[in-house]
Amino acid sequence: MDTSLFLVQLLNGVQYGLLLFLIASGLTLVFGVMGILNLAHGSMYMIGAYLAYYFTTLTGSFFLAFIISGSIALLIGIVIERFLIIHLYKRDHLDQVLLTVGLIFIFNSIQSFVWGNDPLGVEVPALLSGSIKLTDIIEYPIYRLFISALCIVVAVSMYLTINKTKLGMMIRAGESDRAMVENLGVDISKLFTIVFAIGVFLASLAGIVSAPIVSLVPGMGEHVLISCFVVVVIGGLGSIKGAFVAALIVGIVDTYSSVLLPQISSMSIYLLMALILLVKPQGLFKN
Amino acid sequence: MNNKKKAFQSVLPATVAACLISMSSSAYAADNSDPIKVGVMLPFSGVYAGLGESTRNGLKQALKEQGNTIAGRPVEFIEMDTEAKPARAPEITSSLVDNQHADFVVGPVHSGVAMGMIKSIKGKDSIMIIPNAGANAATGAFCQPNVFRTSFSSWQTAFPMGKEAYDMGYKKIVTMSWNYGFGKESLAAFNESFTAAGGEVVKKMLVPFPKTEFQSYLTEIASIKPDAVFVFFAGGGAVKFVKDYDAMGLKGKIPLLGSGFLTEGTTKAQGPASEGVITTLHYADTLDIEKNTSFRQQYEALYGKPADLFAVQGYDAGQLIAAAVTATEGNTSDKAALIKQMEQLEIDSPRGAFHFSKAHNPIQTIYLRKVVNGQNTVIKTALENLEDPARGCKL
Amino acid sequence: MSIFSNKSEKIFIYLFFVIGLFIPLFLEGNTFYINKLSTIIILAIFVMSLDYLVGRTGLITLGHAMFYGLGGYIFTILAPEYEAVNFWIYTFYVMLISGFIALIVGLIVLRTSGIYMIMITLALAQMTFYFFADSVEYGGQDGLFIYVKPETSIFGLSFLDLENETHFYYLCLLSLFNCFAFFKVIMNSSFGRVVDALKENPDRATALGYNIFHFRLIAYVLASSLAAYAGYLFALQFGFVNPGMMSWDISATALVMALMGGLGSIYGAIIGSFVYEGLHYYIEHLTEYWMFFMGSLIIILVLTLKKGFAGFLNDLSGGKGNE
Repeated sequence: MDTSLFLVQLLNGVQYGLLLFLIASGLTLVFGVMGILNLAHGSMYMIGAYLAYYFTTLTGSFFLAFIISGSIALLIGIVIERFLIIHLYKRDHLDQVLLTVGLIFIFNSIQSFVWGNDPLGVEVPALLSGSIKLTDIIEYPIYRLFISALCIVVAVSMYLTINKTKLGMMIRAGESDRAMVENLGVDISKLFTIVFAIGVFLASLAGIVSAPIVSLVPGMGEHVLISCFVVVVIGGLGSIKGAFVAALIVGIVDTYSSVLLPQISSMSIYLLMALILLVKPQGLFKN
Repeated sequence: MNNKKKAFQSVLPATVAACLISMSSSAYAADNSDPIKVGVMLPFSGVYAGLGESTRNGLKQALKEQGNTIAGRPVEFIEMDTEAKPARAPEITSSLVDNQHADFVVGPVHSGVAMGMIKSIKGKDSIMIIPNAGANAATGAFCQPNVFRTSFSSWQTAFPMGKEAYDMGYKKIVTMSWNYGFGKESLAAFNESFTAAGGEVVKKMLVPFPKTEFQSYLTEIASIKPDAVFVFFAGGGAVKFVKDYDAMGLKGKIPLLGSGFLTEGTTKAQGPASEGVITTLHYADTLDIEKNTSFRQQYEALYGKPADLFAVQGYDAGQLIAAAVTATEGNTSDKAALIKQMEQLEIDSPRGAFHFSKAHNPIQTIYLRKVVNGQNTVIKTALENLEDPARGCKL
Repeated sequence: MSIFSNKSEKIFIYLFFVIGLFIPLFLEGNTFYINKLSTIIILAIFVMSLDYLVGRTGLITLGHAMFYGLGGYIFTILAPEYEAVNFWIYTFYVMLISGFIALIVGLIVLRTSGIYMIMITLALAQMTFYFFADSVEYGGQDGLFIYVKPETSIFGLSFLDLENETHFYYLCLLSLFNCFAFFKVIMNSSFGRVVDALKENPDRATALGYNIFHFRLIAYVLASSLAAYAGYLFALQFGFVNPGMMSWDISATALVMALMGGLGSIYGAIIGSFVYEGLHYYIEHLTEYWMFFMGSLIIILVLTLKKGFAGFLNDLSGGKGNE
C-alpha cells in the first residue's frame, strides 16, 4: 500500500468514524442524562432513512425531505418519551431493554407494512453529487465529505450547547445530580422530553443523511445498533467526548482491518472493545 | 394484508392448547376429491420478504392458470413464514410434512434454510421444490430423490462468466463477495472457468456478511488496478456496492462484472450507477421469448407490478406441480411415480424451456446481459443447456 | 421445608410434569406436535438458565444465546462425523467446555455491571456469531450438520433412541425436570442464599466478608453451561447448528419469556416459554405483521405485569411465598 492509498484509507476510516459518532451520540446522550438505554435507537436510524426516501420521492427535493423527516423524528421522540419511556424512570435496566426491544419489533413491522421489503435507494442530491479526484484512479464522492462535515458541525454544536448554554448546564447537572437540578427549579420532566427527542433526532438525522449512500433494507437498524454499542462502550457510557474518540478509533480500525486482516475483520472491533475493557472496565472516558 | 391465510384459521390455536385439546388423529388417505396440499415455505418477513412475495405470486399464477384444480382435485396452499432463519427451517418443515401431510413443499429462498429443510424432508413422503436457494449442495452432495429445484445452482450463474470475461480481453481480475455460501460458490465457479481459459484472479476479497461499508475494499481495488472486477452481491448489498463503485470513480476505469443477482430487481434503486454492468444469469426481464411476454403480461395484470426472476422461478415450481399431477391423473399418494414423471417433464418456462438433470437441477441456458437504460438486456447466449456438475450427488 | 416457594408453584409443577409424561400417549405419534413440544421444552431450559442469572443474581445479559449456540457447536465439532458417540459423555464434555468458556468470558464481563454488562455481553455474543459465520471450517453462515445422533446407553443399557421423536421428547422433559430440580437445590443451599443476599444488598454482603465477584462468577458459569446444554439438545433435535442460534434476538426473546413467566421464579421460565411460543405460533398464522402484535404485547407486559404469570398465579392462589 503506497502512501497516497494509505491516506485514502485513513480518510475512509475517519469518514466512517464520524458517521458512527453521529449515530452513537444520541444513544450516549440519552443514557448520560436520563439513564435510559434505548435499544430502539437503531430503529430510529432506520425510520429516518425511510422517511428521507419517502419525502424525497414525494417532494423531489432531498433538502425539503431532510427538514420534514427531521421534524417528524423529533415528534416521534416526544411521543415515545411522553407515553412509554416516562414509565421507566423508576424501573431497572431490564425493563428498559424489554420495552425498547418491543419498540424494535413494532418499528420493523411498520417499515415492512409501509415501505415493503425490496431494497430502496435515494439519489444523492444534485448539488452534492460530484466527486473530487484524489489520485489518478480514485475519486472521492463529495456527498461523503458533506456527511463528514455535517458530523463535525453536529459534534461542535453539541460541545458548545453542553458547555455554553443554559440547556447544557441543565444537562450537565442532570448527569451528576438529579435532585439538585430539581431544587434549582428546573422542570426535569421537560428536560427529559427534550433530551430524548434530541436523541431520537440525532439517530434519525444519521439515517436521513445516510439514505443516499446506503441501501434501505429491512433490519438495517439492528446492524447499526450493535456498532453503536461498541462505540459507546469503548468511549464510556454517557460521555459525548468518549463517543467521538471511540467512533474515530472504531472507524479507522474497521477500515484498516478489512484490508490488512480480512480473516478477522468482522471481529476486530469487538476484540478491540474486549481489550480496552480489560484495561478500563468503564471505557476510555468515564462519565 | 388482504392475502390472509385462510388455511390457517382452521389450524390449531395456540400450540399448547392445541396439544391438550385437539387429539385429532391424522388419518390420511389420498382421495380424488381431497385437495392437493402445497406447503409454501418462504420468507414473508425480514430481509428476503420481497423475494418470498414474488415467488408466491408466481406460484399462484401458475396454479390459477389451471383454475386451481389439477386433474379434478383442488389445490390448497399452506403458507409458512421462514423469516429467512435457518434455525426455524426444520421445525416448519416438520409441521408441513409430518402434521399437514403436504404433497409438495415449495421453498425456500435462503440457502441456509434450504439445507435445514432438505435434512428434515429426507426420506419423507413429500416432494420439495426449491424455487430459489442456489446452494450447490442442494442438488449436489445433499441431493435427494424427493428434492427438485426450479431455479439454478450458484455454479450455473457464475461459471459462464469466466470464459466470457477472458474473451472480452480481461486477463487479471479481482473477485469479491460477501463471505457466505452463495457468494463463495459463485466466486469459485467464476474462478474455475476463468483460470481454465487462461486468466488470473489476482485477489479474492471476502466481505463479512452483511456488512455494506465497502469504501476500504474499493480503495484496495483501485490500488491493484485489475483489468476488471467480478463480484457477487444481492439485494441491498448489490444496490450499495454498485452505487459506491460508481461514486468512487471506478466504473469508468475498471469494468464491473457480476453474477446476475448484482442487477436483478435492484437497478431502480441503483439508478444510473448500474448502467453498463455486465452479468450472467438464466433469465432477463427483457428476454424475447413468447412465453416470457405472455407470462409478464398476466403477472402484471394479476399483481399490478412487473414480474421478476423470483416470480419466474415460483411460476415454474407451480407449472411443475401442475404438469406432474396431471401426468399421474391426480394420484399424489404414489410419490415414486410422481417423481418419475417430474424427472421426464419439460417445463415451458418464461426463461426458455428446460428439463431436469439427474440431480434434479434445471439444465438451462445462461444469458450474458448488460444494463441498458435500467434494464437487463440480453447481449447473447453465454452457454446453452448448461448442466450443473452436481458434485457429490449419487442419484 | 418444602422445596417449593409457594402453593401455585407446587400445583403448576405437579400438573405440568404429569401432563408432560402422558401427553405423547394422546398424540398418537403425531411427530409435529411432539417435535414442537420438545422444542419448547428445550427453550424452557434455556430460558430457565437465563431466569436464574437475571432474576436471582441480578446480572442482566443480552448475550446468553452465545452459549446456546456454543453448546450446539461444541458437540458438532467434537463428535466424529460418522460415528455414534455416547450422549451422556458428550453432555459432560459440552457442559465442561462451555463452562470453561463462560469462566473466561465471565472474568471480562463481570468486571462491569448494569448497562455496561448488557452491552458487553451483547457485543461478545455478536463477536462469537461472526467468528462462526465467517469461519470456513465450521460451515460459515450455513452452519454444520450432525449426521449421526448419539446413542444413550449407560453401562451397556440403552433406553432411549434419539432418532425416535417420542424418546427424544422424554429426554427433553427429563432434562427440564433435572434443570428445575437443580436450580431449586441451588437456591435452597447456602450458596443460593448468599446469591440472593448479594442481589438484595451487595454492600452488606461484602461487609459480611463474601466475595461478590466469586459468587457471581460461579452463578454465571452454571447458567451458561446449562444454556449450552439446551443448545446441545436443540442441535440434536434437528441435526444441525447454525450461527443464527447466537443472534441477539434469541437472547432478547428469551429475556421476554423470562419476564412473562416472572423473573427469578425459575418455574415461570416454563410458563413464559410456552406462552410466548404459543402466541407466536398463533399470531404468525393470522398476519404477516405478527411482530407488531408481539412488540405491543411485550410493551404492555413490561408496563403492567411486573411479576409475570408466575406472580399472577401466586396472587390468584392468595399465596405470599417466601421470596
